[in-house]
Amino acid sequence: MTKKLFLLLALMFLASSILCAAPGTPGNPTDNGHWVPISAGFSMAIASGLCGLAQSKAIASSVEGMARNPGAAGAIRLALILGLIFIESLSLYTLVIVFAKVS
Amino acid sequence: MEKELWITKIFNDQLADPANSLLGLAGMHAEKRPWADFVTMQILVAAIIVVLFAILRPRLNVDKPGKLQHCFEVIFDFVHGQADEQIGHDGPKYIAFCGTLFIFILFMNLIGIVPGLESPTMTPSVPAGCAIATFLYYNIVGIAAVGPLKYAGHFVGPVPLMAPLMVPIEIASHLGRPLSLTIRLFANMFAGEKVTMVFMGLVALGVPALFMGLHVFVGILQAYVFMVLTMMYVGAGVAQEH
Repeated sequence: MTKKLFLLLALMFLASSILCAAPGTPGNPTDNGHWVPISAGFSMAIASGLCGLAQSKAIASSVEGMARNPGAAGAIRLALILGLIFIESLSLYTLVIVFAKVS
Repeated sequence: MEKELWITKIFNDQLADPANSLLGLAGMHAEKRPWADFVTMQILVAAIIVVLFAILRPRLNVDKPGKLQHCFEVIFDFVHGQADEQIGHDGPKYIAFCGTLFIFILFMNLIGIVPGLESPTMTPSVPAGCAIATFLYYNIVGIAAVGPLKYAGHFVGPVPLMAPLMVPIEIASHLGRPLSLTIRLFANMFAGEKVTMVFMGLVALGVPALFMGLHVFVGILQAYVFMVLTMMYVGAGVAQEH
């Protein structure tokens, strides 16, 4: 209980550094848009990572279905490709925002 | 000053004045080089498709089908099968628009592979135009098939009591359809080209060719996905309870 309390207090203390990001304080990095490329990199990485996880779930279940029922392999393959396309486009939406924001 | 394709250069050198008068008709002021890359590439793609079908039509023969006829029979059976699956019984009525959309987007996606030419779907305007055409088409066709009252009944949802909740959700989802169609096609084509270019700057010749192959595959599938989504929206619009 005490350990959790101290952990919480330590996290809140660290979080107070967000006051540096208030607009108008000297040395605020967001004023010149310096964070745009960094956040673009992070957001694209998160989008690609989650897209990879989702596609791996789709492929795993479709391969298992094809193994259980080889006769339905054609239909399963069609559904797999269609599903992969849709998941891929979700991570490409993030790429569009990156290209729109990063000049 | 952006670099132009050689086709756009020819259009701008010879046909700048007709383009500027067209712009004047639409209320926009004249520019020095009015033809954009994606406009001339769309015209080229349309011309290629027209020439291809003009070559095909005289060679159609019921008794002795030739190779070109076999190719197009495969494409037509594919589109027809998808229409039957997505739209149901009246599917073939809507093949004209959906099939044309499929072939047009397919050729537009693939023409970017040819060196010296560029996919018009790489600019956001072209997929936006196709998506707006799809939006207008499935709404008009839905209203024509079931009547305006029953079509508006789609927005209310299954239980009329939930209408105040369902109508804003349905309107938002309908408005989101052309947006997602546009961004899906544009982002896939744009990202494919950018990735190939980036890798061409980084690695030797073999690896960018792999990415270009992926780009071709993705281009074909994105044309198919656009068509299938159009058919799904048309199918949802003309659905009638029997």
